[in-house]
Amino acid sequence: MLTVLALASVVLLGIVPDPSQAIVIYTGWERHALLGSDVRLSCSFFSWRWTSDDVTFSWTYRPDGSKDSISIFHYTGGMAYVDNKGPFRDRLEFVGNPGRRDGSILLKNLDFSDNGTFTCDAKNPPDIVGRPQSSPLRRVPIQAGVITGAIIGVVLGLLVLIVVIYYLMRFLVARRVFSLSVSKHGKKKKEGSQQRQGPAPPADPSKVKAAASEKKKQESRKDKK
Amino acid sequence: MLILLAAIFAVHIIGIILLLVATIDNAWWASDTYSTDLWGRWVLTNGVWNLTDIPSGSHYPQDYLQAVQASSILACIFSILGIFVFVAQLFTLEKGKRFTISGVFQFLACLCIMIAAAIYTDRFHIDEQFGWYGHCFILAWIAFALTLISSITYFVLRKKTAGAGH
Repeated sequence: MLTVLALASVVLLGIVPDPSQAIVIYTGWERHALLGSDVRLSCSFFSWRWTSDDVTFSWTYRPDGSKDSISIFHYTGGMAYVDNKGPFRDRLEFVGNPGRRDGSILLKNLDFSDNGTFTCDAKNPPDIVGRPQSSPLRRVPIQAGVITGAIIGVVLGLLVLIVVIYYLMRFLVARRVFSLSVSKHGKKKKEGSQQRQGPAPPADPSKVKAAASEKKKQESRKDKK
Repeated sequence: MLILLAAIFAVHIIGIILLLVATIDNAWWASDTYSTDLWGRWVLTNGVWNLTDIPSGSHYPQDYLQAVQASSILACIFSILGIFVFVAQLFTLEKGKRFTISGVFQFLACLCIMIAAAIYTDRFHIDEQFGWYGHCFILAWIAFALTLISSITYFVLRKKTAGAGH
């Protein structure tokens, strides 16, 4: 019993994480943004320690195709220091909340040459061991239009609808014409049978006269046709 | 009569080409250093032409721009459909009948490019002194005239009966 308890406590103590483990930094995924737009670069971290008052956030920028990176933002001692000499002067703004472990910055008015990788490094003393996280930024030159697509789709859809309705109406009218001709055939058959019956039975003068007039009518119809 | 047929076909094809150039090329408004609309803006910086975004703002209404884009694309689509319908009608139309459906397609194309060019004329570059209307704008209006003539021709033309020479 005692040995089991001892073993269990050793195992449990082993599972409990060591408070001096590394800090884990999270940034946004790869971003595509339009020229002239505002981009929010987000950065937050996970640490086993309480958020210290000396927490620091640090952003660096490495242009595409270059190996050098420059520092563009630093937050320390409760003060945010933005770039005032480099390519991002007057375009960066600190929009994060260090108390909630958020060190996000806002990059305004995206320029031509802003393609590159932004790296965030956060330190929460005494938890300082960690790997900075990168967030690449790509500039998208041309914007796709929603209104454009909507107008084109609606007009073409209406066109297809009109064509379909037109052919449907033609099909329905053709069917009606077909049913009329079927009933005409039925009437003609009846007339033919009356004619045959006419001369066979003993002559009733009214019936014979009716048959003769019908014969004449049919002949006149045939002549007209 | 073969010459008349070839001429009508040629007018329609030229209309299609003008519409395509007006829609695809970015030159509705131009100046020495930039050439713009409908899809992007070519800017000359340090001797190199770069394709950039069209600026968004109150002086450049995005929704009207997208309406112009949609209209000019629709004009191209209707005109191209019209040429196929015309060729089909050449072979399937009964003698003595008019090419109404081809005429309808060309008229729709004419209407659409007129809408596009009219919106662009009215809503863009109203107070701008620097620059002039580019070649695409002019081609759009010429295409409007050509498609109008083409559609009227289709509405008036009758398919020749046999024996009168084709």
